[in-house]
Amino acid sequence: MIKSLLVANRGEIAIRVMRTARRMGIKTFAVRTSKEPSEPYLSEADEVIDFPPSAEDIPEFLDIETIVSIAKQHHIDAIHPGYGFLAENPYFAKRCEEENIIFIGPSPDAIYKMGNKTIAKQLAGKHNIPLLQGSYSSIRSFQEAEAIAEKIGYPVILKAAAGGGGRGMRVVERKEDLERLYKTASKEAEKAFKDASLFIEKYVRNPRHIEFQIVGDRHGNYVHLGERECSIQRKHQKLIEEAPSVALTPELRERMGADAIKVAKAVNYYSLGTVEFLLDSDNNYYFMEMNTRIQVEHPVTEMVTGFDLVELQIRIANGEPLSIRQEQVNIKGWAIECRINAEDVQANFAPSLGVIEKVIFPQGEGIRIDTGIREGTEITPYFDSMIAKLIVYAGNREKAIENALQALRNFNIKGIKTTIPFCKAVLSNTAFREGRFNTSFIESELKELFYREADEELLAAWHAAQTHLKELKEETFRQPDYEKGKNLSPWVLNKRIQAL
Amino acid sequence: MIVVSSSGNKFEFEIEGDEIVRCNGNEIKDIHLIEEDGFTFVEKEGTKYSLEIQDQSQNKYTVLINNVSYTFSVETPFSYKRRKMLNQQKQASKTVVISAPIPGKIVDILVEENQQVREGDVVIVLEAMKMQNEIASHVSGKVKKISVKKNDTVMKDDVMIEIER
Repeated sequence: MIKSLLVANRGEIAIRVMRTARRMGIKTFAVRTSKEPSEPYLSEADEVIDFPPSAEDIPEFLDIETIVSIAKQHHIDAIHPGYGFLAENPYFAKRCEEENIIFIGPSPDAIYKMGNKTIAKQLAGKHNIPLLQGSYSSIRSFQEAEAIAEKIGYPVILKAAAGGGGRGMRVVERKEDLERLYKTASKEAEKAFKDASLFIEKYVRNPRHIEFQIVGDRHGNYVHLGERECSIQRKHQKLIEEAPSVALTPELRERMGADAIKVAKAVNYYSLGTVEFLLDSDNNYYFMEMNTRIQVEHPVTEMVTGFDLVELQIRIANGEPLSIRQEQVNIKGWAIECRINAEDVQANFAPSLGVIEKVIFPQGEGIRIDTGIREGTEITPYFDSMIAKLIVYAGNREKAIENALQALRNFNIKGIKTTIPFCKAVLSNTAFREGRFNTSFIESELKELFYREADEELLAAWHAAQTHLKELKEETFRQPDYEKGKNLSPWVLNKRIQAL
Repeated sequence: MIVVSSSGNKFEFEIEGDEIVRCNGNEIKDIHLIEEDGFTFVEKEGTKYSLEIQDQSQNKYTVLINNVSYTFSVETPFSYKRRKMLNQQKQASKTVVISAPIPGKIVDILVEENQQVREGDVVIVLEAMKMQNEIASHVSGKVKKISVKKNDTVMKDDVMIEIER
């Protein structure tokens, strides 16, 4: 039985995990790093452990041995990795096992097999899951990539064999671009995952991104909790997600859900997992990959199914059998998640660094905010740019969109720029509202990347004019003191300008 | 009269006394600022938008409203005359700089000095937030100077390359 839990993560997901753990009567531990000495996730924990000074030049939440030793020192039963960092590191899961710490997640073997996209594809192929044509093993040279691309035809996509989250991923439209993009992708993969190997596959133009949430226990029971649609992406980063998806019929949902479970069974999977598919415009679907962790967008599934996914994760880690059967899973209503990132949409989504001076979160029925920030939080380049998730639940999609738009209008942040105007632009777009969208939505449908409210520019101009007027007025009362006390009349100033 | 212009729009505000009374000929009234919970809101007919002055230098104002930035130049009749004069004197610069849009590390430089580049050509690969960002030239011309080396760390707005049109 898990009585104590170390959360090897930070920010909103650390808070999210600790809340459920606390409710289940589990003592929670958080890790404090020098980069964030007093962030909200620390106040959420029953106990805070300072990360010991280390000579290693690796980020704290990636430091396997130190995290394992912290857990041992404090006699903590289990570690929850959250998402990112060590969540999908099979070696970390293995080290926990070796030290008799419960890793809240699947087995090291399942993480390894699904984490390696080539092995994952081979396994899926063996179980007759639809797949895209491409390399079934990692490629290590540009020449190899070129030969395969020639065979399957352009466009192709390069992906980091060990990767995720859009890093080390490039779409190649033409033969001429392959060499350059191969290099940048493999460099990025090397940097991010310490593994430069890539694989290559046929690129489906304008697919929808549909993923299935699956749950399995250690006794061979599996259910799927329906799908999430994550087609609103920019550079392969998800920005808005929803559950369910307008693209799926009950029949298609059943088939895809059954295939998702087949993928999980292929590696004797237990814990939470997500099986990602591409869905083309003819409703053909293809297995992409399986994520062996809790995902950023998990709340939309929680909203439409009513299950607490972290609780399921912890119970499975305890060895308890699944208490739900497939027929008990009812998808009810609609949920949408908007990721609020500290990014300047008007500057091509560049990171917006700074201090959050003030923040007002929207409130109301069906509104959930998962966040790790508060007033005074500094947005640094050390971590990813997501500062909050707005999740809105309503009886149907139309209502959910409407309520989400209203919530975004009531979401005020001072000090940094955020993706709020972008989310508003998507939610008010007609094609999006009608459900006609796919992963190319931002490039092809969204004419303006940020939403302008009625009269917004006029009011901004009015404010600039007012401020300027006030300044001019103050200036006339002020004695200008240029150049050692000598007053300068506008006539002299004009003369000087002319003489420049 | 005070003229406020952004890249796309022009607002001509008429002033009576200390008050702005008209914009582009249309009467405007009942706009006020409200300070609440540490935010400044502008209110008009029941609609409330949060706003702040993000940046100001001389007569250039950047206003952030609903988290969207607008940059305006504010002109009074006097400042308009002065600017016109200054513009006549200033020589049109022929050199265009490519500066870092975000802080990061230079991982690759794809051009050499004196090389011709076309608009849209990738000149630098900049790594930031663990992403490799391809920085393209926004003009066509000749590379005049490269001010960075591979593996250099750059701050936002640091000049990386100068291009002569």
